[in-house]
Amino acid sequence: MAAMDEVRTHFSSYPDYVNQQVQIATETFTITGLKSLINFPQTIYMVRDSLLTASINKLELVEVFAGLGQTVPAETTGLISEILDGMLIAMHNASGICVSIYPVPQPNSRPISMPIMENNVGGGNSAFNENLEANIILLRSHLNTSDLQMKNYVMGNLVKSNVVVCYMESLIDKQMLGNLTHKLESKQSTDISNIKELSSVLEFSNFSLVTHYMTYELPQNAAKALKDGKAVLFQERLPFAIVLPSLISDLFVTEDDTNHPPIYTWLLRSLRLIGLLTTLIVPGLYVALVSVNPDVLRFELAHSIARSRLDVPYPAIVEALLLLIIMELIMEAIIRLPSSIGPTVTMVGGIVLGQAVVDAKLVSNLLIIIVAAATIANAAVVGFRNSYALRLLKYLLLFLAAFLGVLGLLTGLVIICAYVAGIRTLGVPYLQLIKPKGE
Amino acid sequence: MILRILTAVLMMTLLSGCWDNKDINHRALPIAMGISYQEGNYEVFLDIPKVTEKNEGIQVISAKGDTISSAIDHISMNLEDQVDLLHLKVIIVDKAFATRGLDEITASIIRSRQVSPKTMFVICDEPLNRFFERINNPSNGDGNEIYDFFQKNAGWNPEIAYTPVWKLFRGIHSYTNDVVLPIIQSGHSTAIQSVGAGILKNGKMVERLTNEQTLLYNVFDGNSMQGKIEVMGKATVQIVNSRIRNQSRFVSQKPELNSKLYLKVIVMDAIGNPSMEEIKTELQGLLQRVLNEIFNKIQRVQADIFGIGQHFRDNLSRDELAQWRTEYLPQVKIKLEVHTIIRNTGNLKLPE
Repeated sequence: MAAMDEVRTHFSSYPDYVNQQVQIATETFTITGLKSLINFPQTIYMVRDSLLTASINKLELVEVFAGLGQTVPAETTGLISEILDGMLIAMHNASGICVSIYPVPQPNSRPISMPIMENNVGGGNSAFNENLEANIILLRSHLNTSDLQMKNYVMGNLVKSNVVVCYMESLIDKQMLGNLTHKLESKQSTDISNIKELSSVLEFSNFSLVTHYMTYELPQNAAKALKDGKAVLFQERLPFAIVLPSLISDLFVTEDDTNHPPIYTWLLRSLRLIGLLTTLIVPGLYVALVSVNPDVLRFELAHSIARSRLDVPYPAIVEALLLLIIMELIMEAIIRLPSSIGPTVTMVGGIVLGQAVVDAKLVSNLLIIIVAAATIANAAVVGFRNSYALRLLKYLLLFLAAFLGVLGLLTGLVIICAYVAGIRTLGVPYLQLIKPKGE
Repeated sequence: MILRILTAVLMMTLLSGCWDNKDINHRALPIAMGISYQEGNYEVFLDIPKVTEKNEGIQVISAKGDTISSAIDHISMNLEDQVDLLHLKVIIVDKAFATRGLDEITASIIRSRQVSPKTMFVICDEPLNRFFERINNPSNGDGNEIYDFFQKNAGWNPEIAYTPVWKLFRGIHSYTNDVVLPIIQSGHSTAIQSVGAGILKNGKMVERLTNEQTLLYNVFDGNSMQGKIEVMGKATVQIVNSRIRNQSRFVSQKPELNSKLYLKVIVMDAIGNPSMEEIKTELQGLLQRVLNEIFNKIQRVQADIFGIGQHFRDNLSRDELAQWRTEYLPQVKIKLEVHTIIRNTGNLKLPE
């Protein structure tokens, strides 16, 4: 009784706290919970119904009551924690037995719907959402096998959140799994509410340019990753699956490809490779050809570029930076804008600004084409997390090209290859193409 | 680590000399350079397409100097842009200069690496100032004629010799290779007209070929590319395929070359209904006669434009090779056989 009173005082200022007495025959029960998490009318109906049936059939009421859920010790902190987890706490007033009942929950998430960040052409369209259970349902329906293992980790001291690790027992790289579980277990007291905190638990470098994990909204992509021997993490309230580790092939390969005939699969993948190279190289190539090595161009092209750059007051590198930064601003602004205004900004940015900037002789015509090509090509790569790396690395090539011309471009590519070759995620090299066969 | 990266970045910026880079619109990109030589003085002409919005033709700039580079420096000094010879496609020299010898300028081009070794060498049959004045005439077109004239994908014809700088350089330094350079002059109805080719021995012009002879030289050199030959007022044939086989041997200390030239031709037009056999014999006779003329010519001036000496390289020691042009070339017996196949599936039906 005392514990229940303390719980009531703790929650007294909560507007959604419900404390209700239910009288069945001669017994009185106290039912408490948070109505923001529990659908109260239905839950009370559920509890009352079974108790009334029991009393009519002259069964031992207290025993039936204890069977409604899980008996928990009547101590304040335990009860508060159960209530915050969204459980219904019922207490038999006479005996003081406390039972934690799984209630009809209040819907706290959108229904399973279309993906927002990922589009696909050939496959299913239900996407993960913020609800952990719904995500697991989706994954299970795509991968109905007993080989699929799931482990739940409750992370955090102050704020608790669930992280579910899924993997295929027979396929996963054991060493990688060991690294992953060890890191999660040893840092279980860390609060996790965003991906950065999860990254720090998994000890990814803060200065890493290339992403260590992929995020997928579509369950088929997550299922494919599991079949490839990767681990899939679900974090509560994040509407996507986090796939570990991320490899270079994730830039080009998506599960959606396999819904097309094989020739098109490979053509699409090569197209993405071309996109990757285009977005990395083209702005640098422009600067290299225009200011350092114009001898590489055919004469006609050199002449027409020279004509298009007439009256442009800056060196090519400044010109390119100017337009690239405007492009980055447009891309960033479109995320912030409400979808009703977005198209307007795209039009103003793309057409009006582009034309005006050429007319004003601030940049050359060719550069507009170059920047457009680079931006479009950037989007051809799979996964927006990967495109961040490309967006940044193209500036490295741009500066190297401005210093050393075509040679600088090559140097930059070598630097990028060397950097990428050095990256490891949970012990798996980023450039791993074929999984080594285990002993 | 950070220190190392910073050092690398610093060194890259300081050592690359990137502040000397000039953007493409601040460089004058001449497509043709004319060099004339008069009494120890060079006069250099640069043919620079104007970089303006409307694409208004070309600009010819000339300067005089003791050396070619001093003349170019003089132009660069007076021009608002920096002269950049990287896009130079054609170097035109006058006859006086070609006769005096192109070895020095070729060496300086190859060594300076300012000019691409693929640049063409051309001899001009008239004074250069007049030539440049005439081709600069705006009625001719956009000013790129001199460039297009020698482009294989544009105005080049198999009647025109095709010799880039590196071949000339090779010819100067090799015992067994000489080159021919095209000879042009400003035309009457077109901007430029071809007037044959000049034979250069060790970089000095010694003899000339006519347009027709140049075509056959190109055929023999495996460079025929759809050339058309007129056969003694009877027909015109187009060469569609040519192949040559050479056999070299020494017969009693004298070099002997047996050449078989296989030609596939199609008949373009015929006058007075000649038979295939007639055209064939006429064509073979014509080819043999003209090629023998050329052979006689090169033996007289001792310039090995066909690279005949190449076939005897393994029979001669290095010292003997040095004597190739003077000792052996005039003695070479060249037996030429021409085999022709008329592929008359083309434009005309002829009686068998």
